[in-house]
Amino acid sequence: MPTPDPNLNPDPARAGAAVTRRSFLRTSAVLTTGLAALAASLKPLLEMNDFPTAERFLQKYYKEMTPDDMAKVIKRIENEVEHQYGIRPHVRDLKPMDGVEFVYCLNLTRCIGCRKCVHACVAENNQSRNPEIQYIRVLRLPHGSLDIEKAEHNYAPESVPEKGYFYMPVQCQQCKNPPCVKVCPVHATWQETDGITVIDYDWCIGCRYCEAACPYWARRFNFTQPSIPKERLNPEMSYLGNRPRRQGVMEKCHFCIQRTRAGRYPACLEVCPAGARKFGNILDPNSEVSYILKNKRVFIQLKEEMGTSPRFFYYFDV
Amino acid sequence: MSPGGKTSAVLAGLSAIFVALAAGFLLDLRGPAALLYPIPLVATNFLDTATVRRSYADLVRAGDDLSDFDCYVCHEKGKPPKLRFDADEHLIVPTEHSDIVMGHGSHGRNNNCFNCHNENNLELLQTRDGHEVKFADSPALCGSCHGPTYRDWEAGAHGRISGYWDRDLGEAQRKACVNCHNPHSPRFPSRQPAPGPHLLRPAAAGTSSGGTPARLGNEWVSRVGRDSWRAAAKTNLGDLAREDQSSSDFDLTGARPTGAVVELTRNPSR
Repeated sequence: MPTPDPNLNPDPARAGAAVTRRSFLRTSAVLTTGLAALAASLKPLLEMNDFPTAERFLQKYYKEMTPDDMAKVIKRIENEVEHQYGIRPHVRDLKPMDGVEFVYCLNLTRCIGCRKCVHACVAENNQSRNPEIQYIRVLRLPHGSLDIEKAEHNYAPESVPEKGYFYMPVQCQQCKNPPCVKVCPVHATWQETDGITVIDYDWCIGCRYCEAACPYWARRFNFTQPSIPKERLNPEMSYLGNRPRRQGVMEKCHFCIQRTRAGRYPACLEVCPAGARKFGNILDPNSEVSYILKNKRVFIQLKEEMGTSPRFFYYFDV
Repeated sequence: MSPGGKTSAVLAGLSAIFVALAAGFLLDLRGPAALLYPIPLVATNFLDTATVRRSYADLVRAGDDLSDFDCYVCHEKGKPPKLRFDADEHLIVPTEHSDIVMGHGSHGRNNNCFNCHNENNLELLQTRDGHEVKFADSPALCGSCHGPTYRDWEAGAHGRISGYWDRDLGEAQRKACVNCHNPHSPRFPSRQPAPGPHLLRPAAAGTSSGGTPARLGNEWVSRVGRDSWRAAAKTNLGDLAREDQSSSDFDLTGARPTGAVVELTRNPSR
């Protein structure tokens, strides 16, 4: 029996240098397992129904877009919406106005808790109807306390207002010092010069840090593809505002940017039957909000102690 | 055990775990996806921006029926109507005006039509100090008693405004007092609230103080396997289309692929 050539029968300690039966089996077992696991983990992609187009995937960050880029993006959004809903929307990208800073005031004496603002907002801003996404949450609080721990938002009486309670609608407070903006790892949300904190829905990665950071529970996440019935779609849209969102992005109240930057009042104010909601430019000394902050008993900014400095003020008559 | 043996054991263990996970994913052992319960669309009356009442000025603008303000069809000109009071000095509202509830203030001093109406010309109003006010200018009359509220209203802090906050871009319409308050009984009327947020699982409704299972309805479906409804959907698509129209006004066409419509609106257990 000839002595085996040492080069053909390597030392087991250096098994990697050549393929033996054992190493081949081991490697192929590991490889097969790995590939199977990879395939299984990618399986949900097969069920994905909103795969990004190259155009959307390569889209620039909002602040880096030139007007030409924006025109293209708006065209893309209009096409997508028309394809999905069969309605040609009118998408705009309205910029903040000079010398304007928005402030919202809400009269707690007048609010009757009818939740009309909630649904007007949903209708105006193309929020998902199922699962429900609502920017405004109306809290019912017992008289004599402002303790949010005692608040209830699932109240369903025959008629409102109820004896012994008052109502406090809470939505995005458009903070001057917004915690949600600080935590965003990709700068997909920021504060504009007119005080509105906006979200670039195409830049958001859906990490939900902002949702966790917001002390007002004002941010909403699209856990599924939002569903909006065709006949309830609002075709008057804006890029940073109410254009339809997709699964996996955050959204929140933006003071109806598509209305307010065109000089109009927000939808929640228009629908309020009690006139409890007031909106305007705080830099204009003759505006309603300036009058309220100067003359009325404006005594809370919600969770004032958080240092967020909301642009949303609650006030009382008398 | 030698170091090589240990490595093999760990590798074998990890492989087993991965294989099990892969098999689990592929066979959907994780269980069926939770279905969404159908949520009815909110009634459009909750989206209506109209005011609670219509003022005289609104009626004139819309060219509507003004016969309620045509006093001299019944009353005689130049002859102030006589007021009648009961034993407790309460005004007796004549049957012709039985729709009027006298409830302005709890002090009992507004017990007289002519505190606000002009007895010599019923088509006018009057303040307590005798100034004549037209129906279209009624806020001035209200303001003659409710000074601070009138001041807030003038500044826009009380009452409803709609239209444009930026007066350079468009007009703002300030609503009058009588758009919200009935002058004879001015307390703001209570109303039915719009539906609150729907809970994700009706089972949780029982634990919440407000949301009751009854409100959620019994067509809310239970957790059912994805594959079973898919199979059922294939066989009964015709039935489903009819069922969708009748049982749910929630149309998702366009928002999702057709399969999802079935997923959201159909009760597979039926």
